[in-house]
Amino acid sequence: MIELLRIEWLKLKQYRTFWVLMGLFMIVLPLWNYGFSAGLLKFGGGKKGVNFLTSAYTFPEVWGHLGFWASYFIMFLSFLMIIINTNEFTFRTNRQNVIDGWSRLQFFHGKVMLVVAMSALATIYLFVLGLLFGWANSGSLNGAMTDIYKVGYFFILSLNYLGFGLFLAIWIRKSGLAIGLFLMYSLFLEHLCYGIINRFTVKPYGNLLPLQSSDELLPLPWATMAKSLLPVESTLSMSTYVLGTMIWCLVYYLAGRTMLQKRDW
Amino acid sequence: MKPILSIQGISKKYGFIQALKDVSFDVPEGSVYGILGPNGSGKTTLLGIVLDVLLASGGTYQWFGGMRPEDARKQIGSLLETPNFYHYLSAYDNLEITAGIRGKGLDDRIAVLKQVGLFERRDSKFLTYSLGMKQRLAIGAALLGKPKVLVLDEPTNGLDPAGIAEIRELIKKLNKEGYTIIIASHLLDEVEKVCTHVAILKKGNLLVQGPVDVVLSNEDHIEVRAADMEALKAVLEEMPGVKKIRLADNTVGVLCEAYIRPEDVNSYCFNKGIVLSHLVLKKQSLESKFIELTK
Repeated sequence: MIELLRIEWLKLKQYRTFWVLMGLFMIVLPLWNYGFSAGLLKFGGGKKGVNFLTSAYTFPEVWGHLGFWASYFIMFLSFLMIIINTNEFTFRTNRQNVIDGWSRLQFFHGKVMLVVAMSALATIYLFVLGLLFGWANSGSLNGAMTDIYKVGYFFILSLNYLGFGLFLAIWIRKSGLAIGLFLMYSLFLEHLCYGIINRFTVKPYGNLLPLQSSDELLPLPWATMAKSLLPVESTLSMSTYVLGTMIWCLVYYLAGRTMLQKRDW
Repeated sequence: MKPILSIQGISKKYGFIQALKDVSFDVPEGSVYGILGPNGSGKTTLLGIVLDVLLASGGTYQWFGGMRPEDARKQIGSLLETPNFYHYLSAYDNLEITAGIRGKGLDDRIAVLKQVGLFERRDSKFLTYSLGMKQRLAIGAALLGKPKVLVLDEPTNGLDPAGIAEIRELIKKLNKEGYTIIIASHLLDEVEKVCTHVAILKKGNLLVQGPVDVVLSNEDHIEVRAADMEALKAVLEEMPGVKKIRLADNTVGVLCEAYIRPEDVNSYCFNKGIVLSHLVLKKQSLESKFIELTK
């Protein structure tokens, strides 16, 4: 498995798109959060806008806020995952890998390892950013470990988003189309679907749709506050969402594996 | 001795199109096995199946008497259809990936690049290469780690005449060193010069297969000319042992039983009062056999 990852690294280490998208993720995520913590970004805009968030970057709130925004920025890495995989199909290097002696499954597992490794790296990065933001805004590391499980939520959210990207790439095989579908689904279609489902179910089971099941783990922080003020509606537990995410990841794995095994390359 | 590759009843359908129909043959160790056929006859499909990038609709194949296919492929250097490499990496770095997947070291990377004439351009990105250079790199990649078997699909594609001659010499040399080489081509000239065995495909059907001398044996014919061609034709049609007469381009082609030699034809005609002005024993070329079989 480590050998598979080593060869994936050989493929990527000189690939400019890899570094650009990784770089965008690593630079824009802290900049954006800095914008909120420094009061540069406000809701309502202009100098009179309301800044909900200046206190949101102290421990332990920092984990929830960083995690929420990172759950958007992780899309850069989903796109990267799509591009890396569709490139293999476009340039037929997937064929070459198999001809040179990988089994189809080994090719697939190399990519799965990449999903896990990139998710782990993004999570470690989020953890470091959280410590830096929290420390800068709290003045100490007191309370840093409270709510630290949200970093773990981010890891499985990353697995979900990158795994979904991998699944789409294997299914669609064309990068433009796969990225377009990813955006259309994640920004619009899924919301439409869970809106419809939740209207007809007692509990909001629509929230268990592929990406939403992870989004629920790191919700918009002040929306949680707002919800707690509203009449209690029945919700699903966090462990349900964790389980939901895991099941979706398993579905992507099995679907990707089956497609690659059953198809001409 | 176990064959290097044994193909049993391989079929392949693409929708309604039958790309391969019940193809079976064995590739003996140490042979240069030519898979011939016109464009679209199923050569690449067949190689794609035995290299596991395509799935057969029926039939089986075995490498090295039943070795696990991915282990077998690590000992086979293959070039299938087009050279496929990471376009943003140099030849040098692409070969590192090939070696990594094969589980081989990088000791012979420089030697291989020199062998295919890419040493000077080893650090240029793949996308800057000409078609011929890409093809050379693909051949180089196939040679990496000294595999026992080479599978080469149209290896001279995109090469200039000097490059084609180099590849031909390389194939002969490697075969002498003990490599088994499977080569698919529609360029018969090339194949005829190097192959020990052939399989000829047409529209997915295997027409004939076996050692080159067996496939082409008993197919020699004798060409004759005389002043009166019609009389010559009439006389030869009467000759015992003659199977077929063909008059074309002012030459009579005589297809006859194997025991009949050119001197027999000569004396027979002379006794019948016809003096030959031209007498040639024509060995059938792979090309004419191929055209005869596939037309």
